[in-house]
Amino acid sequence: MAFAPFPVRPVTPQERTFRIEAGQFSYTPSELSVNPGDTITIELVSTDVVHGLYVDGYDISVEADPGQTATLTFLADKPGSFRFRCNVTCGAMHPFMIGKLSVGQNEWFYRSIGLSIIATIGSIGYLMFPRLLPLITAH
Amino acid sequence: MELTRNPFIKNALKSRYPQLAVFIVMLVGYVFAILAGLIGTPVGSHNFSIVFVWIAWWAILILVAVPFFGRGWCAVCPIPLPGEWLQRGAVLTPPDKKPKWLNLRWPKALRNIWLQNISFLLLALFSSVLLTTPNITAIVLAAMLFAAIGLSTIFERRSFCRYLCPVGGFIGLYSQTAPIELRIKEKQVCVTCDGKPCYNGSANGYGCPWDVFPGGLTKNTYCGLCMECIRTCPHDNIAINLRPFSADLSKPSTRMDEAFKAFIMFGSAMIYAGVLLGPWGALKDAAYNVGTSAWFMYVIIFLGMIFIILPGLFSFSLSLSPNPSPAGRGVGVRVFASLATALLPLGLMFWVAFSLSFVLTNATYIFVSLSDPLGLGWNLFGTANTAWQPMLTSILAPAQTLALVGGLIWSARTAQKAAGEVKVSSIPVIIYCFIATLAMLWLLL
Amino acid sequence: MKRSELLSRILITVAVLATVGTPLFIWARTPLIHAKIAEDGGWNPDIIKVNVGEPLHLKLTSDDVVHGFAVGQMDMQSVDVLPGKVTDITLTFDRPGIYTFFCTRWCGLNHWRMRGTIEVTGASDSPIPAEPALGEVERVPMYVTLGLDIDAPHEAPVIPSSQPSASSGRKLAANLPIDRSTDYYRANSPYQVFGELSNTSMTDSQRWDVAAYLWQSNTTAESLANGQQLYAQNCAACHGENGAGDGVFADDLAAAGESSTQTMTGADNMTMQTPVDFTDPTRMLGASPALLQGKILRGGMGTGMPMWGSIFTEEQIWDLIAYLYSFQFNYQGVTQ
Repeated sequence: MAFAPFPVRPVTPQERTFRIEAGQFSYTPSELSVNPGDTITIELVSTDVVHGLYVDGYDISVEADPGQTATLTFLADKPGSFRFRCNVTCGAMHPFMIGKLSVGQNEWFYRSIGLSIIATIGSIGYLMFPRLLPLITAH
Repeated sequence: MELTRNPFIKNALKSRYPQLAVFIVMLVGYVFAILAGLIGTPVGSHNFSIVFVWIAWWAILILVAVPFFGRGWCAVCPIPLPGEWLQRGAVLTPPDKKPKWLNLRWPKALRNIWLQNISFLLLALFSSVLLTTPNITAIVLAAMLFAAIGLSTIFERRSFCRYLCPVGGFIGLYSQTAPIELRIKEKQVCVTCDGKPCYNGSANGYGCPWDVFPGGLTKNTYCGLCMECIRTCPHDNIAINLRPFSADLSKPSTRMDEAFKAFIMFGSAMIYAGVLLGPWGALKDAAYNVGTSAWFMYVIIFLGMIFIILPGLFSFSLSLSPNPSPAGRGVGVRVFASLATALLPLGLMFWVAFSLSFVLTNATYIFVSLSDPLGLGWNLFGTANTAWQPMLTSILAPAQTLALVGGLIWSARTAQKAAGEVKVSSIPVIIYCFIATLAMLWLLL
Repeated sequence: MKRSELLSRILITVAVLATVGTPLFIWARTPLIHAKIAEDGGWNPDIIKVNVGEPLHLKLTSDDVVHGFAVGQMDMQSVDVLPGKVTDITLTFDRPGIYTFFCTRWCGLNHWRMRGTIEVTGASDSPIPAEPALGEVERVPMYVTLGLDIDAPHEAPVIPSSQPSASSGRKLAANLPIDRSTDYYRANSPYQVFGELSNTSMTDSQRWDVAAYLWQSNTTAESLANGQQLYAQNCAACHGENGAGDGVFADDLAAAGESSTQTMTGADNMTMQTPVDFTDPTRMLGASPALLQGKILRGGMGTGMPMWGSIFTEEQIWDLIAYLYSFQFNYQGVTQ
């Protein structure tokens, strides 16, 4: 379950544009969902002070002043869930100004759930094993 | 495996000078962090106090010190030192027989870790401000130093560490999982030992600062690894042992203060993962704007989660046990507290998973503030202009999964041992841990 | 006392005192200019004094968010002032006077209030011959010589049905006896030009095209680009990136207007706080460049519109004004 190949639904790559407003200390919208292969354009609009947007895993960023919308275009070729975060110090809670980009389904999350299920069943089974053993060997 | 067999380790621990040297470095760093917090830049992510306390120290504590060395941090912590030196009237020389200060016994009603639970929660509720505001961090650091000094003059031994320190409580609890312990070698030697110098002190050193009789040690929780007893034991009966992980957890605690500490740590790791690392700005605002109605809501949710929801669901899951424990309040408390021990490994791993994300993202700030600790434009080591860059992002999610699933298995094993002690089924607790793990996975991944 | 005990005590005392003393000493001798958002106090210190011709070394740091530093009416590149970092800059002033330094990166609704002054005094022993002081050489602004009331309404009673085109205006203007001088352009609104052409046989839309051409011919591509840049950096946050008065702070300004206790009365006050829409032809085509210059120089007197007189040079203001009219006119297809 945790390692089986994931079913992949073929999707035609699209061009998507998101307008993200950045204000102390959040993005609106803060969660983006796209398909792998899509070309993403993020229009970053700062509404109070200078903010940035850095995408974990893709290692790309953009910086916008209020009144000067900045755009970041990239190919979402890595599937998974990525945090994006402000990379221009914008006040006290700056290190926690975070959003989330989902490229396709969050495969790693589902695999982790699978691992947890295996771990739970395994742990319970381990406990049961001494009790089950006589039953198995009796046959 | 007894580490103190190694003559090098043994001599290094027996002599006061190596520890003193570390102490001085730590104290200097601590004082500098206070100073930097007060006079350095008010920008948290560039201030030495914030970066070194909440990124560097926290990373070392939760990722290395606690999991591998238990109370290893307490062994080198500078906070109690000035008070202790004052209390003893000496840095090195063993004390006079006559106490210099009030030297009272700690009140009996407070001989538990409830005060530590409260002090941790107080910091936790203000953590968004504390974590980001240098002068608040400096004030808290200074307050801990002075509280330790004050308590040293009123009460005997290290009352601050033992009963008040906000981090001491969880370090102690989680140190039970660590593969290192201080124990006696032969029980009989202690029983027949005259005067018990390990507890009462001798010409070779001080009586246990943590108010523990080493002869009775079975768990790491309240042993601060200060090494005094190694110096005072006239029979060479104290050993530092390498042992399997979580050896102490097979003898579950039945104390409610410790059980709730487990819930406090378990719950606050989840809340932090959601509030600080999640994409929900309103939560961050509520946590940061102390005093507003949103913040009071946050406090209510925080405390409700820790004191009502998490323990409530835990009790509920225990009541679903296929072979319920015999009735009676005393028994119920014992079962509850014993099985709460099962939350310790998973709780520690929650903190590891949360901290990995926070620390790896912000580690580059360490280089910057190392070169320019006060924000005065210095460049001491040439790293002042290191650009902010999250580190090791590609291994973050696998490492978090590994920690959480590993913690789940570890907790399941602990639950089975604890359930065996109190003769109930461990399955409800394992399911409880599984659901909590799913929640944490969802928050972090 | 044993020697080891004594040495330990001395070592600890010296180490702690040195840890506190050394940084404190260096800190006290490093004068920094701190930048904070205007609500938290702006620049500190906000008055700097220096003599003519003497290099002024400044160490700038930000205590909160990204700020910038530049001195008004001075030919200098603005520098960023970053949180927790120190920016070193050296300035030399050739003329005495009171200069305004200001924040160049938007840092909130009151960003423009973040200003300070540099008082440059002529040192008597200065080897540099004294130059005329700042301000003495400037001309009296055009709106004053023309006697314009820049707070009076200036609406165009008629507006074009489609965007006037400078390229078609150029063809029409070829044989017209119109005044193409800069002074004429600056002193008149497009509507006034439209009105003066009423005795010709041209259609309304042709007359607007001629006005568009006249405006276009009084600027250059370079000036427009410069104006555009100034607009983006200084105006767009309120007036909108497309000039429609819908910048990111427009809502905040309206809210500030509502809660404002300024002396102007109720509803007027609120409208006063709303940034002007440059895409509104009624307003823009009824305004002359001289009138706009006056508004920019003086600011909105409590409405939230900053005064730019001490910051922009005269040339920068004319470039900016030329750009503002491009929200009304189609300059495409015209080459200079």
